Amino acid sequence: MRLVRYTYPSTRSLVSSPLFSRAPWSGLESEIDRLFETAFGEAPTAALGGSFPVDLYEDKDNRYVRAELPGVSRDAIQVEVVDGTLTLQATRKTGDDKAAESVSFSRSITLSDEVKADAIRAQYENGVLTVTLPKKEEAKPRKISVQVG
Amino acid sequence: MNLLQSLVPSLGRSGGQARPEGSLANADLGPTVRPAYTLKETDDAFGATLYLPGVTKEGLDIDAENGVLTVVGRRSWKQPESWTSLYRESSDATFVLSLRLDLSIDVDKVHAELNDGVLRLSLPKSEALKPRKIAVT
Repeated sequence: MRLVRYTYPSTRSLVSSPLFSRAPWSGLESEIDRLFETAFGEAPTAALGGSFPVDLYEDKDNRYVRAELPGVSRDAIQVEVVDGTLTLQATRKTGDDKAAESVSFSRSITLSDEVKADAIRAQYENGVLTVTLPKKEEAKPRKISVQVG
Repeated sequence: MNLLQSLVPSLGRSGGQARPEGSLANADLGPTVRPAYTLKETDDAFGATLYLPGVTKEGLDIDAENGVLTVVGRRSWKQPESWTSLYRESSDATFVLSLRLDLSIDVDKVHAELNDGVLRLSLPKSEALKPRKIAVT
């Protein structure tokens, strides 16, 4: 959500103006439009740096973290696990030598104990980073056959 | 965003803020989101950079019609059946961005490049409108 200073349309200027070129409610109208745009129009994205959207999934054997990080080179992505916290860091470099731009992103996720920290894999494809976190054997669902004797 | 206008048509507006309608924008795409994008201008071209994470070349449609450039990016990844979603921040909605072009852009020479979920569009200006120095004789 952005903060935009709202200037209340001055009634005096409208009365004195001979041509009603702007409707008195045009300021309010654009303000309502802006509200709708910010509420429904824009998805959270990693365009301007800072944070980026992250999804968490789970299946029988693994947990997965998918992060939307478009336009980042593979060597500028760091995936680290320290003390049960997964940290994703990335830097996007754009522009040429004259006007180089560098944007950094970082996100930390607390992992549960059931993840094998030494077997984590990461893959980057089409601007989406997928981190696969294998579960420990004891955390996997297990079938116990019951023998009726 | 024309809700107010459709309810009270007499609240006529100057236009320009309404979303431009291209042919792709009217197609049935389900829910859509507008991607994050930046625009830059140089002497000979406009450059648009669109962030389309998860979109491949096959899922991308770029269309210029009636002075509206529409980019549609469908996400290629689908959640596998066995995966349970625990927490979501991204959406599966298709990316749609419509940009209204004016006459200064040479639509035939628009160039697009998709790399790691970033689409770079180069929209060259028409020759006739480029700044030109005229020597005084």
